[in-house]
Amino acid sequence: MSTTATGTELSAESSAWADAGEELPPGLGPYQLAWRRLKRNKVALVFGALFLLVVILCLLAPVYSHDIAHTGPNDEHVDTALNQFGLPIGPTWHAKFFLGADNTGRDVAVRLLYGGRNSLQIGAEATLITIVLATLLGILAGYFRGPLDGLISRVFELIWAYPVILLGIALGVVLAISGLDLGFTRLSGNSLQIPAIIIGVIYIPYVGKPVRGQVLGLREREFIDAARQQGLGHMRIMFSEILPNVASTIIVFIPLIMANAILTEAGLSFLGAGVRPPNPSWGTMIGEGIGLLPAAVHTMLVPGIMLVLCVLGINVFGDGVRDALDPRAKIRIEH
Amino acid sequence: MGRFVIRRLASLVGVLIAISILTFLIFTAIPHPELSLAGRFPTPATLAHIRHQWGFDRPVYIRYLLIMKLIFTGQIISYTQQTNVVSQLVHYLPVTASLAIGAGVIWLSMGIVFGLLSAWRAGRWLDRGLTVLSLIGVSTPVFFLGAVLSYYFGDKLGWLPAGDYAPLSNPFEWLKHMIMPWFALSVLFIGVYSRVLRSTILDTINDDYVRTARAKGLTERQVMVRHVLRNSMIPIISLFGLDFAAVIGGGAILTETVFNLHGIGQYAEQSVQALDIPPVMVITIFGAFMVVLIGAIVDLLYAVLDPRIRL
Amino acid sequence: MRKYKRPLWAVVAVAMAFAVAACGSSGSSSTSSSSAGASSSTTSGGSSGGKTGGTASVVEGTFPQSLDPSIDFTTQGGEVHWLTHLGVLSFAHASGNAGTQIIPAIATALPTTSNGGKTYTFTVRSGLKYSDGTPVKASDFKFSVERALKLGWSAASFLTSTVQGAADYAKGKAQTVSGIIADDASGKVTVHLVTPYGAFEDVLACGGCVPFMPASTPMKPEPNNPPVGFGPYVIKNIQPNVGFDLDINPNYASQAIPGIPAGKMNITVKVESNTTTEASDVINNSADVFDWGDTIPPAEIQQVSKLTDRFRAVQSNKTFYWFLNVNEKPFNNTLAREAVATAVDRPALARLGSGALVPGCYLLPPAMVGHPTQTCPYGDPNSPPNVAKAKQLVQQSGMAGQPVTVWAENRQPRLQWAENYAATLNAIGFKATLKTIADAEYFSTIETLKNHPQTGFADWQQDFPNPTDFYQNLVDGNAILPVGNSNYEEANDPHIQSELKALYPVPATQVDSVASRWQALDYYTAQKAYVVPYGYLSSPEFLSSRIDFSKVVFSPLEGNDFSSLQLK
Repeated sequence: MSTTATGTELSAESSAWADAGEELPPGLGPYQLAWRRLKRNKVALVFGALFLLVVILCLLAPVYSHDIAHTGPNDEHVDTALNQFGLPIGPTWHAKFFLGADNTGRDVAVRLLYGGRNSLQIGAEATLITIVLATLLGILAGYFRGPLDGLISRVFELIWAYPVILLGIALGVVLAISGLDLGFTRLSGNSLQIPAIIIGVIYIPYVGKPVRGQVLGLREREFIDAARQQGLGHMRIMFSEILPNVASTIIVFIPLIMANAILTEAGLSFLGAGVRPPNPSWGTMIGEGIGLLPAAVHTMLVPGIMLVLCVLGINVFGDGVRDALDPRAKIRIEH
Repeated sequence: MGRFVIRRLASLVGVLIAISILTFLIFTAIPHPELSLAGRFPTPATLAHIRHQWGFDRPVYIRYLLIMKLIFTGQIISYTQQTNVVSQLVHYLPVTASLAIGAGVIWLSMGIVFGLLSAWRAGRWLDRGLTVLSLIGVSTPVFFLGAVLSYYFGDKLGWLPAGDYAPLSNPFEWLKHMIMPWFALSVLFIGVYSRVLRSTILDTINDDYVRTARAKGLTERQVMVRHVLRNSMIPIISLFGLDFAAVIGGGAILTETVFNLHGIGQYAEQSVQALDIPPVMVITIFGAFMVVLIGAIVDLLYAVLDPRIRL
Repeated sequence: MRKYKRPLWAVVAVAMAFAVAACGSSGSSSTSSSSAGASSSTTSGGSSGGKTGGTASVVEGTFPQSLDPSIDFTTQGGEVHWLTHLGVLSFAHASGNAGTQIIPAIATALPTTSNGGKTYTFTVRSGLKYSDGTPVKASDFKFSVERALKLGWSAASFLTSTVQGAADYAKGKAQTVSGIIADDASGKVTVHLVTPYGAFEDVLACGGCVPFMPASTPMKPEPNNPPVGFGPYVIKNIQPNVGFDLDINPNYASQAIPGIPAGKMNITVKVESNTTTEASDVINNSADVFDWGDTIPPAEIQQVSKLTDRFRAVQSNKTFYWFLNVNEKPFNNTLAREAVATAVDRPALARLGSGALVPGCYLLPPAMVGHPTQTCPYGDPNSPPNVAKAKQLVQQSGMAGQPVTVWAENRQPRLQWAENYAATLNAIGFKATLKTIADAEYFSTIETLKNHPQTGFADWQQDFPNPTDFYQNLVDGNAILPVGNSNYEEANDPHIQSELKALYPVPATQVDSVASRWQALDYYTAQKAYVVPYGYLSSPEFLSSRIDFSKVVFSPLEGNDFSSLQLK
């Protein structure tokens, strides 16, 4: 579906959080206005803080690993943490094995934090790839129209019609075997960048299509005509006239794509086509935990709950940002 | 109308060709496909035999055309087990269709109900509660939700089977096996649909033509049902078309895997892992076909629903 | 080796040569019309009467690669074709050591060898009829070999490297396999080998390897409509990837081969890819037989191991080892290899394998002829390793800090083993990183010589109870090939080569006479640490409580003998 929302005026009741009937001071720019609205949305801020907390915890992984748990993410304690049938111990609530051990006797809490770093890193990189490429392609297609638009739109359609997860595992499995040659550098099959690139590419149409639609509308507006008559070059028009006008749409997409990128990474890793062992990620940890069911349920629950909290934080905060910036945006979320 | 259909068909064919080429190209990145098919310690003779049998000794484009020819004559057989892929697909379809249809009914109806309630009580506590629920829904990966359900209701409490498919020939068993997968798969979509419906209803209420309708003296009830609701359903139907098609086309891989339903999604996933290209080709083409086909049906429905759209 | 897991039990014993001889003579003296299972010459279970009737359901983790025996070489296929498509010889239907003995099946007696072990001669029993009534002919053997070569049988190298003219036929250079001469009138078949190859009898005996089938069978893969065969069962009702039935062959009982009893129950085979479900199905009696090629998952082994009246862990001849590439740094250094052999934490690896792994240090598994009896050269495999000593060895070798890539398969528990191994290498001073490869690509990747993997996961399950099977594939310098290289360590040791040259020609039925020479050789291999074995797999013999556990034959080569299943 195309998303052509351009308005930035607020329809107050569109937000579930903002109190209806509030007055906002007049004469503010759209971003100042949005910032004020966001500041008033306490729920969004709380969940934003939750996400920030998860990020900080994950960044502190080496500290926790070194000073509290005294074990690394890949250190195995087969003798102490597994019983004779290879089943791991549950949470001890002590510094060591605070959240229990996994199926090779590694500390789940330590891996949870290191895995979070990988999951978040892949999510952030994928988002960056999606946003940059989608903006670029969307603006090019919408601005130049004609055959270039035709080509870019067909590529969008192509990726769009492919089930996300299937495209992801096909690329994941094949690239893990052959590696990825980017021209300037060569990524080995085990690289964390491979899932990031795959996920980043998969989501391009979800942002690129709405950006293109918006640009198609913008290029007919007076200020663009004016810029053209001033003799400004295409590049100038695209990036200093059009880009600022689609920026709010793009900002709205950032948390959404981030949340979905993290979920997709988890799904691919669960199927063994994402992060490669022994590198932890929440998806690989959940997958290993599911393999142990119905025993050792903590190995599945711990990373799963952390993943849900993190993504929920992004989603609620992102929802607040969207309400503040662009209350009428309609966005398709893929599973 | 006629032009519309022709345009649709042309785009369908274009997308299918593009998808098949993309799928094929992804797998040409594998350096020696014959090696993984030959078992351990193949002799040069075995390798040559396999290369010839599957056309690996031919140029890439010939190989592509060969595969496509086999697909469209229904004679394509898989690399690993050498079974007819189309008949396999037909075999797996009931499982996936059971999943998609049941879950589709659940997520569409619950999504609409939640969305209506949320819009009706916009800004109030019911709205906030439903918003939280739907955001939790879209933040929970389906395989995690599925595993938790299957563990607690299947293994621990024993109320429902923890996984597997039971054929429709025993409707009660079938239902028991499908309830958890349906629910797990629906949760995300319910979250999305209720959010989308809520915001479109709220947007439509302020649209010009709704104001006009009010000004014409229609009752609030008539305005809501004939104009607001009808128009708000457009994005929902469009989403439903895409999502339902994706699930039928093998997109519910994670749900099928975690509940061990041997449907099209799991077949696709296992074929990818075994680097068995023919099934992957057939399933992606089938999936894309469903997406485009159902997309076309949705466009037709649009015309019925939206007074502003004329084909 | 066969794909997936192929367990085993025992071999050996001085008694074996005697048993085989006895069996052979009883086989040749019996006529083709002996009655079903009567006075079987094999040792245990199965044929001793008992209840007949009913249907047993078997759950398996994977569908056989193909139900066409001319293609398949998998555990799941072998256990079926063993009963549906008999060959010249067979392994006895018996549990334990007795199950490794070779008995005549379609041949009247064990083959006679001549020409210095290069010519094998046997006679086909007269009057046998396939399940569809077609008479069994001597020339069907030649047809079966040719069909396996033409269709690309997964183990075709057993034939192309041994039988005269087989390689030419496979390449399309010859119209027929010149080394096989069959005379339908007398039933006599003569096979000429390229070199003396003692294990040829094993090839003739393994389940589904060279089965008899009518020469009218189409020369194309028939996975859904397998060739007609001769045996106690027939394959019916195939649903690819889902399941199939094994029905009792009604025509078999009247022409049963001594030692190969007729079936008592019909069998339904169902694929259940989730091993947790597979195991719980058997626990709660909704299925009767657990796939012996699968491992009971950690989550359920605790519960299952208590069911001693229907579960038994049977030690099998499957070795897991790390290979150390002697042509690549750091393992071109002897001390560096010794360090690894010293440091590998075998008890930990056994625990990671849910207790299904029995620690050990020799390539030849305990139940195999030639398994050394000496204490391990680098420490007791059942106690924690001497890591300090290993560190010291690495320091001495001058290889400390060397980067090492550990190649591993991406599935449990193999992945966990490799993770543990990589951690061990790091602990003793190397810089190890793991490289995981999708299962479908793993072996073809490390078997491509130019990849020169430094070290990684490898395993071997016997195809037949003969140490030749391990050495010709895994250690022999002649196995180093550009593609399909199975000597991952790339070792070409002159001492090993000269020993192998002397040991290969020893006929399968006389391998015990050279047991001590195999033992010395295997000890030498362990000492050189070209390969670092860490354990042997045990296989589950796990049945529902409906089935009479005491009567079931568990073949060391083909697992649960379906023809021995009967209700309590």
